[in-house]
Amino acid sequence: MSTHLDHDQQHRTNESVALAPQHLGPAAQGASSLTATDVSCWFGSRQVLERCSLSMEPGKVTALIGPSGCGKSTFLRTLNRMHEVVPGAKIAGTVELDGQDIYGEDLGVTEVRMAIGMVFQKPNPFPSMSIRDNVLAGLKLSGKSAGDKDTVVEESLRRAGLWNEVKDRLHDGGMSLSGGQQQRLCIARSLAVHPRVLLMDEPCSALDPISTRVVEETVIELAHQITIVIVTHNMQQAQRVSSQCAFFLVEEQKQPGRIVEAGDTATLFTNPKDQRTLDYVTGRFG
Amino acid sequence: MAVGDAVAVAARNVDPMSAISPQVPIRPSDRPSRGDRIFRGFTVGAAMLALVTVVVAILFLANEARPALSSTGLKNFFTSTIWNGFIGQFGILGVMVGTMIIATIAMIVAVPAALSMALFINEYAPRKVGRLLTSVVDLLAALPSLIFGMWGRDAFQQKLVPVARWLSDHLYAIPFFRLSAEDVVLVRSSFVVGVIVGIMVIPIITSISRDVMAQAPRDVCEAALGLGGTRWGMIRTVILPFGRSGIIGGILLAFGRALGETIAVALIIQLTFDINWHVLEAGGSSVAGLIAVRFGEATPLERSGLIAAGFALLVLTFTVNLIARRIVKRGQIK
Repeated sequence: MSTHLDHDQQHRTNESVALAPQHLGPAAQGASSLTATDVSCWFGSRQVLERCSLSMEPGKVTALIGPSGCGKSTFLRTLNRMHEVVPGAKIAGTVELDGQDIYGEDLGVTEVRMAIGMVFQKPNPFPSMSIRDNVLAGLKLSGKSAGDKDTVVEESLRRAGLWNEVKDRLHDGGMSLSGGQQQRLCIARSLAVHPRVLLMDEPCSALDPISTRVVEETVIELAHQITIVIVTHNMQQAQRVSSQCAFFLVEEQKQPGRIVEAGDTATLFTNPKDQRTLDYVTGRFG
Repeated sequence: MAVGDAVAVAARNVDPMSAISPQVPIRPSDRPSRGDRIFRGFTVGAAMLALVTVVVAILFLANEARPALSSTGLKNFFTSTIWNGFIGQFGILGVMVGTMIIATIAMIVAVPAALSMALFINEYAPRKVGRLLTSVVDLLAALPSLIFGMWGRDAFQQKLVPVARWLSDHLYAIPFFRLSAEDVVLVRSSFVVGVIVGIMVIPIITSISRDVMAQAPRDVCEAALGLGGTRWGMIRTVILPFGRSGIIGGILLAFGRALGETIAVALIIQLTFDINWHVLEAGGSSVAGLIAVRFGEATPLERSGLIAAGFALLVLTFTVNLIARRIVKRGQIK
């Protein structure tokens, strides 16, 4: 098992070396910024988020942290218009991708979701498809021409750090993979449509520690290429992978969630401005 | 020496062979309570009832069918289209083909309508509208086929004449839609019966496929939407593959029902024993319809012939089910 992993690690390092020349520096060129302004959310008449503003910088990982039920996942889902998938869900405020309003008239909802991809809490590959078809699913769904499909598959799987593990079994079912591999397959699937931003909703919460580490390394690797927003329950994870951080909190029961504090991850964890942030990051509640 | 003996004895006591002698696997026994045993007895009885019913029905049919089959001959029975109770000639080829024609037309009408309805209720309709539609569809399922038959005969089939005319004018390329003459009658046809039976079985397919498709995992649906898929894209990539075997199951249940539909066919169709490929023209047949029309006034020998036809229908339905099960199994993901 351990030799297998070491082997795997070695391959991953090779992959990152191969990518390094084009993607040096913290903010790679071509990465996009995402800016939420006064975002509020409702499910029916119940308000769950109140005036959340956050600027997610290009080519960086922004972590959203906070206790359960504080609205961080809801906030994440407003960033690519997945919130409105739930019947009765409503939203106020604006979200801009490189200055363009994603809720505006100019952009269709499918365009928004192609530009801003999403990885979910539970690995959710398409069960009836092979590994290869899963990677290509986004292109097929959006009717985009894939160019050379083999290239897209290999490139996406490499970027998600899964290529070496699956290159000989691309036609096996997506569900034949382990949980951690499935999650990286979902990441590859999102990357195949070349999103400018990748949203991740607690991507490791259903994974074991070893798979978690591999996914985290993938996130850090990807941060050189695209903008990432990640929701996490795990404060160590936030510290390991993110450079920016926002702390969400519901003050009292039945109140909507708010952003208490946002900024540099290191500052937020070592020297927060708000007492409540300090209490949370030092484990006094939550 | 003495010490060595003691060791040898001790070793023999634990039986050195036990480690390598083969073990006998047993099922640990459990004494269920009395209530449990009674309940178990009931369930076994119920299960047996189904089995016994099938066996008894088959034996009955086979026994009753014997006189007619020996009078007409097995080969003749399956390959002839001549039906004459007086001379003891019972050829069911035309009737069997007629049954398949009607059931096939019914499926062509019912499957797209029912699946669209199910998808509309699940994916597009506001919740209230969906709930209302669901109960309307269930109500439709509860309508006796006699009602459909009467409605079809007295009102609906005249409405279908222009449709039949249009099909024969525009889809002339399809041989089934050609007319044998200019002035043929366009009612009392396989087409009319097929459409009406199709409408009858819509609720079966709708409610089964709706239930199955509603079970499609929401997170995988969201994955499809999250990749920039449209709602139709999500339905195509997630919901339909997920519901595939259930949908096929529902379709087959409806197909079986269409094969066996009796009263609606008997009321409308103009019975013929020949194979009538001109589905739009008057004249057609089905096994169940034939039995309903003829059974009352049949001579004992013809009655035996009708039972033989019924037996053949049973075998046909059974075969369809077997094939369907194969298809469903083959589609499952490894």
